[in-house]
Amino acid sequence: MTRKNQSSFLYETPGPRGRRNIRIGTAISVVALGGMLGLGLWRFGSHGQLDADKWLPFADWAIWQYLLVGLGGTLTAAAVVAALGSVFGVVLALGRLSKVRVIRWLATGYIEVARTIPVLLLIYMMLFGLPQLGINFPTLWKLVIPLTIANAAVFAEIVRAGILSLPNGQSEAALSLGLRPHQTMRLVVLPQAIRNVLPSLVSQLVSLIKDTSLGFIVAFTELLYRGQVLSTFNHLLIQTFLVVTLIYLVFNGSLTALASRLQKPGRRRSPIPLSLTALAGPIDTFQKEPRA
Amino acid sequence: MSASTPLRRKTVLAGAALAAFALALTACSTGSANVPGGSSDDTGSEASLFAGAPVASDDLILPGSTMEKIKERGHLIVGEALDAPLLSQQDPTNPDSVTGFDADLAKLLAIYILGEPNVEIVPPASETREALLANGTVDVVFNTYTITEERAEQISFAGPYFSSGLAVAVKADNEDIKGIDDLGDKTVIVGANTPAVLAVPEEQPTATLVDFATDPQAVQALLQGRGDAYVQDYTLLASHAESNDDLKVVGQPFTSEPYGIGLGHGDADFKEFINNWLLEIQESGHWGDVWTTSLGTVVESDVPTPPTIGSVPGS
Amino acid sequence: MNFLSENLGLLLQALGTTVMMAVVAGIGSLILGVLVTVARVSPIPILRWAAFCYTQFFINVPLLALLILAVFALPDAGLILPLAPTAILVLTVYEAAYVAEAVRSGVNTVGVGQVEAGRALGLSLGQSFRFIVIPQALRAVVQPLGNVMIALAMNTALAAAVGVVELTSRANKVNLVYAQPIEIFTTTGLVYMAIALIIGLGAGWIEKRVAIVR
Repeated sequence: MTRKNQSSFLYETPGPRGRRNIRIGTAISVVALGGMLGLGLWRFGSHGQLDADKWLPFADWAIWQYLLVGLGGTLTAAAVVAALGSVFGVVLALGRLSKVRVIRWLATGYIEVARTIPVLLLIYMMLFGLPQLGINFPTLWKLVIPLTIANAAVFAEIVRAGILSLPNGQSEAALSLGLRPHQTMRLVVLPQAIRNVLPSLVSQLVSLIKDTSLGFIVAFTELLYRGQVLSTFNHLLIQTFLVVTLIYLVFNGSLTALASRLQKPGRRRSPIPLSLTALAGPIDTFQKEPRA
Repeated sequence: MSASTPLRRKTVLAGAALAAFALALTACSTGSANVPGGSSDDTGSEASLFAGAPVASDDLILPGSTMEKIKERGHLIVGEALDAPLLSQQDPTNPDSVTGFDADLAKLLAIYILGEPNVEIVPPASETREALLANGTVDVVFNTYTITEERAEQISFAGPYFSSGLAVAVKADNEDIKGIDDLGDKTVIVGANTPAVLAVPEEQPTATLVDFATDPQAVQALLQGRGDAYVQDYTLLASHAESNDDLKVVGQPFTSEPYGIGLGHGDADFKEFINNWLLEIQESGHWGDVWTTSLGTVVESDVPTPPTIGSVPGS
Repeated sequence: MNFLSENLGLLLQALGTTVMMAVVAGIGSLILGVLVTVARVSPIPILRWAAFCYTQFFINVPLLALLILAVFALPDAGLILPLAPTAILVLTVYEAAYVAEAVRSGVNTVGVGQVEAGRALGLSLGQSFRFIVIPQALRAVVQPLGNVMIALAMNTALAAAVGVVELTSRANKVNLVYAQPIEIFTTTGLVYMAIALIIGLGAGWIEKRVAIVR
């Protein structure tokens, strides 16, 4: 019998008693879970929230178009942040690995600060602080700049983990072939490092797409804000936000599934779970990183 | 490392499909909400609303003034909401169409300056209206912007263009609360950044305030029992009471809220220009028509008299 | 910095709310997350599937959307709570998904030999979880869990968007009166950084004490 479950080393192939226990457990779980779900749905319905007339407006293609354009705005913002943030992030990662102490300190300092400030606070600072200094940006940038500041730091850590996980032999071989250090980095180390951490990067993209929902606060045309405007139009607050949640779930879920397929198949030991590499620092089970 | 195995090929294809979908959405999204000009998709009724609207003669557009700048640019940039029903609400089935009392007045102003209702909307977020005016991001603010002396220190107001008041709404089965006087020690729901935030504590210092970002959220909160009453603009409450039997308005409006048009600080030329425009549309009946098609749909009364311009401190 | 002296009481109260939310949600999410992990690696397929759906849902849906749904849709599903507890509930459930993922990776680092030895000694599945697997799993992932807790503390700021008066929303309200955004928000940022630093140092200290030297 093949082991399908990655963690099934925890228990033996069940014998008859084990199988019986599993059946009992399954029955209890189904009843419990189904019961909770059913209860919630029933109460929901008894408040009239499942009425057809509350959901029919969503059969209108124009409404979907409105929301999907909002999703487009979300993706635009995410793409801009990803582009800027990844460039900035690579620079920061290299800075943190630099031999020059000042650069290392500056990069590390920036990374540590940017990772521990709530993005919402950065957005408020942009909304209120910059106009006082006379600077003003279009709405897209009011969202993109705070997100870039925060996400560049996370990208930097992911890329740094990738660089450090590469065997030393790669850069040593490149140097011995006569490549200069920056050429080594550019031609040998970085491409491989990024390829290694691609799943983490995609997972971070999912996290980024979620963060763009903060565009709600700056009234940027993204999915959540469009959901808000729609809800004031059709007075169907609950249904609208449920639909918006569904759109996020489907789109991000596909990305997450894509990311897990990008992982090298065949490693039994689970690498860092994708969702965690985004916010967890670089931690490799076999190469512990001392926290600075 | 080439995409050789079937799994990798499928993955690459899936990724490409997702990326293509995303790209298509991105392409569609450029040129969405903040699109100048709503005249192309206007329904017949809107066209008739603006028929014969006054247009400023050229001698009124003083050289070097804000009006001239707007005329050269070709569209008016307005700070107004997209999610305020009856005042300025975007229609999701037709995102170019934003209608309501504030929205339509802004279009009339655009016609006055430019001859066409070319309006670009910038929704103010989190009480940034003074900031948007101060650094010139928007030309005017049409956002149920109550005239106060504190605000008049940072920006200028034209108008007032409408006089409203705050009223109290409760659940239909609530017999205890008959008006603002009964709100002592109660939990009162208010809209964030509305005049109610300051007005309720003034009348009832012992009331606890809970604020919500939008009007529909506040109504929902009231109906779910998160508060005993909801204090908001009288016309908005009337519109909810009419469409929702679970809610009723009690008592009379207990404040007077003069709405003004926000503009840059110290811009006396622009202020005079806008005040002239207000007088003209009041005389021509367009002000009344705009009221009838928006707020007038829920209030059973004749067209109210517009307030006297400059009658409020700060305006 | 007169805004500080005049509003110190309000700001400290708001900070207290933030810390309280972070602590309660933190403990809750740790407990719930471990339970979800146990379900995820259990031999009962339904539980594994339910735990998988749970984590996938919360990892792919934005917290802000969940907060709005919880405040406005949950009451109609039968659960109405004041705003702050609602926010805490949402944060707990949301971060539990991340905790579950972290602990799951920890479970996978537990040596097979450990579990086999437990089985040889006659421990049941539940006992081997309780005494062998989970303790070692948790000790292996102290650092990622610390990061999840830091993310949780930062996410309490989002509760401001649904009306909870915590540090960020109080800072915003103070700024509306004083209009000194640079000073006010920088100070607030420093407070959050201090919170994150404390959590990070705490995680580091715990890790040194319980680290498994392999």
